[in-house]
Amino acid sequence: MSNFSVAFRRNDNIQILDLYGELDAHTAPELEAALQQCLREGRYQILVNGRNLDYISSAGLGVFMAYIEEIREKGGDLKIAELKPNVYNVFDLLGFPLLFDIVNTEAEALERFARQERPVPPTSPNP
Amino acid sequence: MARHLTLPSWQQTEVLLQHRRTRWALLLPFFGAGYILTVIFHVLTWQSGKPASPWVQVLYYDGLVLLTYSALWLLLWGETRQRGTTPVRTFWNLSIAALLAQGAGLLLLQIGSPPEGTTTSGFAYETGVPLTLVTVVQMNALALLGALLAFWVLLQLRGLVLFKRTRQSERYWRLMLGSMALSALLVDWLDPSEPVLVLLLVVPVGLMLRNAFRVSWILYLTFRQKLLNLGLSILAAGALSATLAFVSDQAHAYLWHYSAALSTFISLALAFGILYQATTFLSLLFHLPTTGDFQRKVDELAALHALMQLVRQVFDAERLAETIVRLPVEAGVAQSAWLALPDLQRGSLRPQVVAQWGLIDTPVDTLLDLEALYQETVTRRQPLLLEQALADHRVRARPDHSLGTLLAVPLLARNEVLGVLFVAREVAYGFEQDDVEAITVFAAQAALALDNAQLLAERLEKERLARELAIAREVQRRLLPQQIPRLPNLNVVATSIPAQEVGGDYYDLLPLDDNYLAFIVADVAGKGTSAAFYMAELQGIFRSLSRLTPEPTQFLTHANHALADTLERTAFISAVYGVFDFKAATLTLARAGHTPPVLLRPDQPPRLLRLQGLGLGLDRSGLFLQTLEPCTLTLMPGDRLILYTDGLIESRNSYGEPYGYERLLQLLTVHADQNAEALHTLILEALQQFTGRPVYDDDLTLVIFQWQPIPALPTETNRQLADKPLLSVEPSTLQPSRPSSDT
Repeated sequence: MSNFSVAFRRNDNIQILDLYGELDAHTAPELEAALQQCLREGRYQILVNGRNLDYISSAGLGVFMAYIEEIREKGGDLKIAELKPNVYNVFDLLGFPLLFDIVNTEAEALERFARQERPVPPTSPNP
Repeated sequence: MARHLTLPSWQQTEVLLQHRRTRWALLLPFFGAGYILTVIFHVLTWQSGKPASPWVQVLYYDGLVLLTYSALWLLLWGETRQRGTTPVRTFWNLSIAALLAQGAGLLLLQIGSPPEGTTTSGFAYETGVPLTLVTVVQMNALALLGALLAFWVLLQLRGLVLFKRTRQSERYWRLMLGSMALSALLVDWLDPSEPVLVLLLVVPVGLMLRNAFRVSWILYLTFRQKLLNLGLSILAAGALSATLAFVSDQAHAYLWHYSAALSTFISLALAFGILYQATTFLSLLFHLPTTGDFQRKVDELAALHALMQLVRQVFDAERLAETIVRLPVEAGVAQSAWLALPDLQRGSLRPQVVAQWGLIDTPVDTLLDLEALYQETVTRRQPLLLEQALADHRVRARPDHSLGTLLAVPLLARNEVLGVLFVAREVAYGFEQDDVEAITVFAAQAALALDNAQLLAERLEKERLARELAIAREVQRRLLPQQIPRLPNLNVVATSIPAQEVGGDYYDLLPLDDNYLAFIVADVAGKGTSAAFYMAELQGIFRSLSRLTPEPTQFLTHANHALADTLERTAFISAVYGVFDFKAATLTLARAGHTPPVLLRPDQPPRLLRLQGLGLGLDRSGLFLQTLEPCTLTLMPGDRLILYTDGLIESRNSYGEPYGYERLLQLLTVHADQNAEALHTLILEALQQFTGRPVYDDDLTLVIFQWQPIPALPTETNRQLADKPLLSVEPSTLQPSRPSSDT
């Protein structure tokens, strides 16, 4: 029934989560559980790879919102990489690129982790 | 004697003879006539004083005897029940029958016994011809008596020999009867010497031995019944032995001269009866001491089985777990039991002891490494038996903890391991193989019950959720405007179609005074009931705040502040908010993370207004205000603003493709000259055609504003517009935050 899954990977001290399938209100608890596990194990450098994520609904986006504050308070970050265009569009509509570090490739994300970069909010909107 | 004769159509005959009346009508005259003929034969022989010629003897007399007694056998066969009575009754019947037959035989011999002193039997020594009429009567009566007894013995014992019958045991039984009859006939015809006689009797005696050892019914007797049978088997053996002695001594001459075959058959049948009593006696003797154990085992199994019924009835998961651990202890198979299940409610697969029962009263988690044992059992999918539990590295218990043997059994249902049942006994090596099997069978039942209980709980939860959702939907429906305001110059068409589940679409319109109309289209991201409540909150904010600070930037910033404090961390709201100014003919709007509105002007291709803006409730810092990008449009006659929620864009067809922006823009391009009502209908129709079904996956809200009627355009421009390839649709003049890949 569930067409969503999360796979765990490590790259040095960065926890990589590979998402597969469709993330919606029904499957969101799985991602939630995965993120909870990371936090329980004290891993706050989290990279979410969306290469195989086919769809995301607003409830799916909510999961990211739920944990970002705690992760950043603990000195970590949650970066998102390799989103498909249609998935990126959903992130983009809600303004997630302003709140999250969303990059094109995993390598870029790892680099940004290494340099401890965060997204820089634009100083002022276009008129 | 009868058996091999009736072999050819045995099945048919058997069916035919099942009917009592047919049986009697067919066999009784047959038997009666045959019997009378034999009597006449003997009377004639006596009167002539000479034996019949060998040919007459064999062809006529032996054939007659064979047929007559076959008929008698079939008569008796039909009268005795296939299944037989209880062993006690059988043995009792046998003893009585043997004693009666012997008594009757002795009485018969008394009448007209030759005067004292003469030792001759009633037959001529050389020829075997009966010497007196009394002898003729005696031999005929004794033969009938002996045959009746022999047949009766065999038919009585049949029920016991064929207890829990199989095809094979039936075959051996028939073979024995057949070989007994055949040997008897051969003995008659060949009149063999002793060594040949022994040879002839080897087969039937062998088969008699084989059948005499079929005494499995003994296992099912109680101790008292066994004792009773022990006594009765001695009695029956004694009675039969006495009868056998009688027929082979005093009555032997009468029977032998009547028919050597019948005489042999009677002796064989009685011998079988004695043999069977002997094996019964010995078996009973050997089984007496183990009766207690056997009975206990049976009781245990019966207890487990009886309690399994209970397991099936319990549908309260907690009580069920308790029942599952209580039963093995109460049935006496184990002394302690506990049940470990994965803690699914907390979303972990770590096993948790949900119930514990029996001797061990310390929490078992402290006595052993529950997780390691659990995981091994789950991986094996087979019972795990620790004969010396204390020696296992995963067990931390001390000898005084009553944990000698430990057995872990997986609870398998629908090919999944639901949990593990642990049972323990105080001593090491406490479980025998049959205990393990009993527990395994029990575990299978328990797993089934547990599975049922879980399914039921899921179902109840689903029903509860469904009720909640129904309430939420009702709340949602009432929050939507019940009436669309009628306004000069501005035509509004709006629908909101809730899907099966509450998604939290919301739109509202509020005329601020004669000059202004505030509107909002929003989508609450969140689950179930909470979405409806956030919607209610948003309605409150919209209805009050838009009067105070109608300007989009201010309104949305305030709304964001208000909502950021109250929304759960996983929830947020996307919205488009705007204000029409009728006097100045302007529209000011801003987008807070919502699907971009489409502006459709009479002489232009549709434009997605992809204004920058975060969803409400996402950001608590100043970022929201910093990034918000309002815009003001000067309205021209025929301008249409199409607002919608993601239900429109994300509705999928049977291939899983979403409707998408491209199709929407194309449709608007083609029907650019249609007014708001027509567009509204067209879009909904197109969507339904696309998805191929009348229901929507998600809430769907569609609000279309139209500023004044569409001015008539030159038809050429219209055609040009329609022919324009889609890719040339210009992006919004207002800079999007990032080009959308869908458009």
